[in-house]
Amino acid sequence: MTVLEPKPIAKFQAGNFKSDLKPIWCPGCGDFGVVTAVTRALAAIGRPPHEIAFISGIGCSSRIPGYTTAYGFNTVHGRSLPIAQGIKLANPDLLVLVASGDGDGFSIGGGHVAHVIRRNIELTYIVMDNQIYGLTKGQLSPTSQRGRKTVTSSFGSLEEPVNPLLYVMGYGASFVAQGSPADMTGLARIIEEGIRFPGFAFINVQSPCVTYGNEEQQLKAHKGKMQNLETIGHDPTDRAKATELARAYGTQLYTGVLYRNPNPPPTYGEGVTERQQVLGQQAIPRQEILNRFIPQA
Amino acid sequence: MRQDLIIGIAGAGGDGVVSAGESLITAAALEGFHGLMTKSFGSQIRGGEASCRLRLAPQEVLNPNGPLDVAVVLNWEDFKRFGGELPVEASTIVIYESNTGVAPDKLPLVGVRPAIVFSVPITELAQQHAGTEKAKNIVVAGLLAGWFGIGRASMLAGIRKKFSKKGATVVEGNVRAFQAGLDFAEAHPLKEDRKLPTPPAGRHVKLLTDGNDMCAAAALFAGCTFFAGYPITPSTEIMQFMDREIWKYGGTLLQAEDEIAGLGAVVGASFAGKKAMTATSGPGMSLKTEMLGLASIAELPLVCVNVQRGGPSTGMPTKAEQSDLFQACFSAHGDCLRPVLAPTSVGDMFGTTVEAFNLAEYYQTPVIVLSDQEIAQRKETVDPIDTAKFQIIERRRPTETELTNYARFKLTESGISPISHPGLPGGNYLAAGIEHNELGRPTASGEMHARMNEKRFHKFNPLKSRRDLFLVEGDPDAPIGLVSWGSVAGVAREALRLALREGLHAKLLVPRLMYPVVEQVYQDFFASVKRGLFIEQSFQGQLYRLVRMYVDLPPLVKPLAKSGSNPIQPSEVLERIRDMVAALQGNNNHCHLEPNGD
Repeated sequence: MTVLEPKPIAKFQAGNFKSDLKPIWCPGCGDFGVVTAVTRALAAIGRPPHEIAFISGIGCSSRIPGYTTAYGFNTVHGRSLPIAQGIKLANPDLLVLVASGDGDGFSIGGGHVAHVIRRNIELTYIVMDNQIYGLTKGQLSPTSQRGRKTVTSSFGSLEEPVNPLLYVMGYGASFVAQGSPADMTGLARIIEEGIRFPGFAFINVQSPCVTYGNEEQQLKAHKGKMQNLETIGHDPTDRAKATELARAYGTQLYTGVLYRNPNPPPTYGEGVTERQQVLGQQAIPRQEILNRFIPQA
Repeated sequence: MRQDLIIGIAGAGGDGVVSAGESLITAAALEGFHGLMTKSFGSQIRGGEASCRLRLAPQEVLNPNGPLDVAVVLNWEDFKRFGGELPVEASTIVIYESNTGVAPDKLPLVGVRPAIVFSVPITELAQQHAGTEKAKNIVVAGLLAGWFGIGRASMLAGIRKKFSKKGATVVEGNVRAFQAGLDFAEAHPLKEDRKLPTPPAGRHVKLLTDGNDMCAAAALFAGCTFFAGYPITPSTEIMQFMDREIWKYGGTLLQAEDEIAGLGAVVGASFAGKKAMTATSGPGMSLKTEMLGLASIAELPLVCVNVQRGGPSTGMPTKAEQSDLFQACFSAHGDCLRPVLAPTSVGDMFGTTVEAFNLAEYYQTPVIVLSDQEIAQRKETVDPIDTAKFQIIERRRPTETELTNYARFKLTESGISPISHPGLPGGNYLAAGIEHNELGRPTASGEMHARMNEKRFHKFNPLKSRRDLFLVEGDPDAPIGLVSWGSVAGVAREALRLALREGLHAKLLVPRLMYPVVEQVYQDFFASVKRGLFIEQSFQGQLYRLVRMYVDLPPLVKPLAKSGSNPIQPSEVLERIRDMVAALQGNNNHCHLEPNGD
């Protein structure tokens, strides 16, 4: 297991993780808050930017790696998770963050979510959920409410939205949290907790779209309705209660850690390390690998 | 006198047909013979019919060839299900199980009456000597060893070793069953001796394996430490070999949830600095397309093996075809170029896979290895390979100086830029599927897009001088020119040898680098050619068409192209060579302008 303890060698400020690239986001976009929260969390973790890989797919949200000083990979639509898993498995020492949006993560890339969860690969998966396709200018998303009118649902959506919290709970995710840029301190804290969690961590961020979002989805509205899970006395190790609260996605805005498995399953990486150690003793030199094809009577 | 022997064995799933074939080729290899064995099964997951074909010779065996010299029939229904895969001619020696109740002069074969037929009580001999029907395949091995002089001593040693765990009684029973086969053969001698000539002395111990295992071993030799993939016939054995071995070399394997994720994880591992590979077949390649484009624009090294089968769509999953060449060269949107390599035999798979890793690392690009079902799954003897002769190339890492103000996609003279990886201080950059500037930052500048495209194409220019990735055989000034690739190249090579022996002036070009098309190699080859053939296993003749995109071929060069599972035989190619020679020698009126195969 990789232990993500802060290294004593250097103290980092959030600014050390912010690049000088100017975001393409609309003024007031929730994603500005996410990049700030991520850089604050990384400063608290204390690992240098070159030990961090920040992977994303396609969408407004997926531009985020470029706004940090970490190694970034802005991949293709819906595929951030498979690529991030390859990175983490190839170099377990890296701190790997994954950013996605509701469309990238739960529509085109939705099929990958179940598998990263059951493998329990140590990634921190941050989904910026704005219930709309912003980059392509306002189409229906998998988390849009039924009846929502958009340019591809002119007469209202005929579909029930995906519930990202319940989705990952259903597949057995061991760390599930939700935040909003309306509470920057809380958001930075759950991202930091997610990074420190020994296994796959899922963080849904209600990150409003100022251009195509409804008024009740904006940060101002969040401030009025956010309920902090710690404040309301939720025990994050209570899976049944967490699942019940997850059902309120779309009606209630709970923030904080919804579920933290007190006994998470082993990570894929732990199994790999053990296997490499045990089997490594049986290796024949690479130059002699063809000898295994010498026929035996 | 024929210098080789082609044996076909068919029976029901539990008859041990394939195991008999494997014992035989192993024994033959140990005694210095060359050999090649293909297997074929019914579509049932378990049971059903099974068959194998072996071709054994004291000299190099280039392909499975056509009609059988020997047919071993454990039951007629199963044998007949393989039809054209086990063709019987009048000269075929037929050995069949007596308890099928068929009279030797009434074999259930249509249009052919083999002259030499043996009805052998195979099951009875197995029961009598080993006390079990299971020893039927051992009796068969004894018969074949007796009549054709292959592997007698090695077979006996093999039987002793194979059954040693089951105790002395089982060992002795099987030895007796083998001896019973030998005795039967001795008691019923062939009129004409068909024993194979002894291989030349001073022979080396050969390797015996199939293309999929060879591919995986080569990848590990080349330093591959990451494999991700999704099971698909007929490539799965590559993943299975990797799963048994890669951990031993500090590597990791991931069975991905789908084909896209398989290549996705490989792209990620490469970004993280590791040599990485996936393997798939046609339907998987279709899904992997988006990742190939991503790896091209992000300039990430990786190897993607496509073991071709019949297509389109699910097509013919267990049959070889060469119909994914266009896909290998042209799939993925946008302007991009990726090297495509094709091995011509199991032995050649080693060098081809190592080359694929070298090209991937050197040029920072995905490389496709186009194998096919036949090479992938046939067992073949391979002369020892001196691995010390193979150079291993690593990607160009940035120097200390280059890491100050590091530019990942620096526009260099060669087009190759130093590549860092997460964990390397100072090498931080943004990799992206989006067009980018030298620093990796997204750009919508038309000028930058043009310059980056130029870089991504220009960097492959040195490939144009890789003549070592082409094989040319035969008479250099010949007016008859053949081109073939992949497993079919073995058929063309044999046909060429037969033609040269007849005094016909012909030559053969076999590309292992399929793409980019190296124009100069084809132009030089065709300079003397008046007539020719592209011999390949696809309906369209994809190599023929691909080459014509880049090279003006002489008008009488045409495709000899067949859909998968319709074998092309050396005899057929030889016949076409004779026709072409005759046409050249005959009156020129005969050479009317024929359409170029369109």
